Amino acid sequence: MSNTVRVQPDLKFVQELQQVGGESLKKCYQCATCSVACPLSPADAPYPRKEMVWAQWGLKDRLLNDIDIWLCHNCGTCSDLCPRGAKPGDLLAALRNMAYRNLAKPSIIGTWMSSSKYLPILFLIPAILYMAIWNMRAGVLGTAFPLFVANGHEWKVAADGVIVFGGLFPGDYFIDPIFGAVFALMVFCFAGGIASLLKSFESMPRTFIVGRGPEPSFLACLIDTLKSEVAQHSRFKNCGQEEKDVQRFAGHLFVFYAFLALMIVTSVVAMGHWFGAWFLEHIMGLEGGFAGLIAWAGHTPMPLWSPVKLLANAGAVALVYGMMKLTSRRTSLDASKSTSNWYDWYLITVIWGIALTGIGSEIFRLIGQPVLAYPTYYLHLVCVFMLIAYLPWSKLGHVVYRTVALAYARKIGRLPMGELN
Amino acid sequence: MAEKLGVYICAGCDIGKSLNVDELVDYAKKSKLASITPVVKHSAVLCSPEGKAEIEADIAANGLDGVVLCACSPRVKWDIFQFGAVQVERVNLREQCVWSYKEDPKVPNQMPLIAKDYIRMGMMKLSKSRVPAPEMPETFQTILVLGGGFTGLNAALEAAKIGKDVVLVEKAPALGGKAATMYKSFPLSAPFTKAEDTGIAGLIDAVNANPKIKVFTSAELVSLEGAPGLYTATVNAGGEQKLEIGAMVLATGWVPGDKTFLAPMGYGSIKNVVTASEFEAMVKAGEIKRPSDGQAPGVVAFLTDVSLCVQGAHAGSAEVCAPIDPLPEAAPAGEPEVVAYPSKESAKHLAYSSEITSLVALKQAGYVREKLAGSMAFVLYDHMMVPGINERYYKTAQDDAGIMLSKATITSVKQDADGGVLIGAKDTLLGADVELKADLVVLPTAVVPVTAFEPTLNLVYRQGPGFPDLEMFDGFADSNYICFPYETRRTGVYAAGCVRQPMTMATAREDAAGAVLKAVQCISSANRGVAVHPRSGDMSFPVFNFQRCTQCKRCTEECPFGALDDDEKGTPKPNPTRCRRCGTCMGACPERVISFDNYNVDQIGSTIKEVYVPDDMVAGGPRVIVLCCENDAYPALDMAGFRGKSWSPFVRFIPVRCLGSVNAIWVADAISKGVDGVIMLGCKYGPDYQCHFVKGSELCSRRKTNIAESLGRLGVEAERVEQYEVSIDEYDKVPGIIDRFMTEVITKFGPNPFKGY
Repeated sequence: MSNTVRVQPDLKFVQELQQVGGESLKKCYQCATCSVACPLSPADAPYPRKEMVWAQWGLKDRLLNDIDIWLCHNCGTCSDLCPRGAKPGDLLAALRNMAYRNLAKPSIIGTWMSSSKYLPILFLIPAILYMAIWNMRAGVLGTAFPLFVANGHEWKVAADGVIVFGGLFPGDYFIDPIFGAVFALMVFCFAGGIASLLKSFESMPRTFIVGRGPEPSFLACLIDTLKSEVAQHSRFKNCGQEEKDVQRFAGHLFVFYAFLALMIVTSVVAMGHWFGAWFLEHIMGLEGGFAGLIAWAGHTPMPLWSPVKLLANAGAVALVYGMMKLTSRRTSLDASKSTSNWYDWYLITVIWGIALTGIGSEIFRLIGQPVLAYPTYYLHLVCVFMLIAYLPWSKLGHVVYRTVALAYARKIGRLPMGELN
Repeated sequence: MAEKLGVYICAGCDIGKSLNVDELVDYAKKSKLASITPVVKHSAVLCSPEGKAEIEADIAANGLDGVVLCACSPRVKWDIFQFGAVQVERVNLREQCVWSYKEDPKVPNQMPLIAKDYIRMGMMKLSKSRVPAPEMPETFQTILVLGGGFTGLNAALEAAKIGKDVVLVEKAPALGGKAATMYKSFPLSAPFTKAEDTGIAGLIDAVNANPKIKVFTSAELVSLEGAPGLYTATVNAGGEQKLEIGAMVLATGWVPGDKTFLAPMGYGSIKNVVTASEFEAMVKAGEIKRPSDGQAPGVVAFLTDVSLCVQGAHAGSAEVCAPIDPLPEAAPAGEPEVVAYPSKESAKHLAYSSEITSLVALKQAGYVREKLAGSMAFVLYDHMMVPGINERYYKTAQDDAGIMLSKATITSVKQDADGGVLIGAKDTLLGADVELKADLVVLPTAVVPVTAFEPTLNLVYRQGPGFPDLEMFDGFADSNYICFPYETRRTGVYAAGCVRQPMTMATAREDAAGAVLKAVQCISSANRGVAVHPRSGDMSFPVFNFQRCTQCKRCTEECPFGALDDDEKGTPKPNPTRCRRCGTCMGACPERVISFDNYNVDQIGSTIKEVYVPDDMVAGGPRVIVLCCENDAYPALDMAGFRGKSWSPFVRFIPVRCLGSVNAIWVADAISKGVDGVIMLGCKYGPDYQCHFVKGSELCSRRKTNIAESLGRLGVEAERVEQYEVSIDEYDKVPGIIDRFMTEVITKFGPNPFKGY
């Protein structure tokens, strides 16, 4: 038997899976209702049934290299229909959590992200950092809640001034270098995670697909994935047809585009400041015209009528709306069918933190309440840090991992039954 | 003989609408039995309180000793139409005449003729019927329980609980049987999720303390002589003693299957491959160890898929079964006769034990998890057979992270270099072909009944000491009756526990109670002179006219239940309490010396002769007699009529107790009278037979061959007599069978050449 595969069960791995959200996995009796019900499962070796069996037998190698966990969009239909309450949807979520934990280095962050008991560490890192900056700046400025007036390119403390967050936390010296460095480090870690993800996929046997033409390039697949699965949420749309699934689809779409809008706003500000104000005006010595427009677009605080500010506020509203839908769905889950794990709650809480502290900062700033505005902004910085710095190890890591996996799945022809012509 | 008849014609249920009941009353009044028929009436609804009251009044006023009720099928309203000692004959005008009538355009208006035929036939049949007066022996009340294992102990206690004296005979020096060797049992009580103590010690104590139970250990049943209610058991427990026994519960249980059947799975050649019963003993002794090095195994694999061992297996095929010496022509004088009893064990017993091997694997996987921290237990099965409440036990095992289950077909079991065992499997849930490594492999133990090896009962019966035809069940003393699990081919002997089929202790406990109740029923039926089963309560019994007996031995050989012994000359010796009243002996007897008071050769022959046969088949239509089995064919016909099916108007049905009771003379009577064909409609025979009396339809088909030869000599086509098999639910096929016979046989061969003589 040339195809004989040695199977090495791992009891510890089964118990580990049970701890990270797959506690019901042993109840599966392999009826395959889950795989039949799943709208996204491929025809060949469909998930999640096989994952259930592998999990029961503790087949670590197979599960950790399994691309199918990323094809699942977690509508929970399989878990709803499971006659044994084995919660296959939860198992796949648990496997993704394991991937978040293990794919990117350093693994210590993965460990910290895996359990609520490490939350204080994750919180204290940015909290202490920004508290130190605040403390230091308060010493320089003579107050912890300063008001400012513009003085050329500088902000000057003045009792009749306005709240300027950039005055207390200057972007040039504190915000941008720190976030820039954190972002770069995060991207670097992510790259390592992507590399090990692709390596794991390549270690798995491929299925030969009869009648398929030459394999498309990964880049072409990635572009298709971004156009379809990412931009249009095309798979997500097919994932479950019930009211709660439609609600989840809408909620996720809003949150996604809200983040996209806020990312554009951030980019415009960074471009305006560093390219317009710093590079073009300061270094090149250009004045007015194009350089002035770019510098102005990135200048904060912005007037409320600025298109960039309008986009930012629209993004904030969309974020709150989307999060309300997602949160209400998650809180109304039938615990006997599907459950939420720590990874779900961490992400939801941090995004809510960013949304509420962001909006709060703006409102308190506009109504001129420095005692409320600065602490809220401080918390906003902490939340943003907690989202970005730990991103590869959080559930939000799916933005990258799932995109890569979906592109890879396109490349090897692993498509849902419905998408095969 | 019924000598004062009353005839009642019901007008209800479409009968009055379809037939002129006044005319039928007049017809019956003018019949040739009119002289013994003082009352002929019709009734609007015979089964109404008024209808029944009228019959009762007539019985009282006229001293009627028999009533012919021309209404519906005897299978309905039987509880209403009971009149004490007055005999009742039911004429089925509703199902077999009115509801199933089909008009033949060439020979129209047959319905009144059918009704008249059946009324005449019913009157004649009743006039030839007597009320049976069975002997009512004083029966012994003691129940013999053979086997002191879990089932036997439960049976003894159950019997004692209902006030019976019990004799418990156990072969081993101590009570307890297999249960005493087990560490734990599958769940015996709610919530049915945990293996638990077998409770065997408590059972033994309870039995020993019970004054109604007499226990013989290191004992054997030398012989069981006599008949139900009247047995003499000879028990040897250090000295022979004779005991008076009413009935017996057979609970001799099982032995572990021959391990050499497991050789294809590595048993015998690989040290760390053991059987489930060896593993159980290991755990019972306290420690789980690998035989090779005495180390505790980290991974134990339980393989219940036995396809490697079972391929092509059949009883007697295995090398382990020593060839059986041919029997000597005659036993040398003075030496006891040796009864040949070839072993019925084969590798197939592994497959038959599936339910048990599934549960044992789950239970023993639980032992591994209980006794060895951090260990894993694999269960590789072809099927996980956990019926009923045991599903909960399976679920519990499944929930244990260290018990890993998969369907698999085992392809190989090999020794690994480091003392481990490599298991090759295909068609698993983990992929097509996989290899697993275990430190210890446990193979299933087959449950093989004791009756696979020895007659066990040691009956002193003409037909032998054990159950007949046990090879059909590979040695299991299984029931021939799907609805009556404890019944055996020997009245008075009721099987329970693993001797009957592989079963759990929870099931065996219920089995013990069921078999005891049957034993009690047997004893109390015997002393009232009635049949136990399946004609429960039947008072009739075969009566022998020995003057004409030619000692041909057909009755003694053909009785499916071994009811008849014989003397040296071959004269049959009836044992009414062994008898099931099927009439197979009556059908067998060429001299017609056997009869029942209310069912005999003359009676049915005379009934057949009452069928009117027109001389001209074209003008009056053909005639066909259908002798139909009461147990399957007759209900199927009723159901067909009930559901609006219809068939040729030229057939006349005569119910028989069993096709085995059909005497060839009835067919001869019919043919010589000019009847164009005879159908014998009975149940299925062969390996999956459905006969209530096991052998009846099979015997009938054999006798039919002889009948056909006789007919041929007379110049009558053999095809005119045919036997068909129907099961009770084949009501939709019965009309087709009848109509096809009419077109393919009667139309083809034309009128019976004897017609008109």
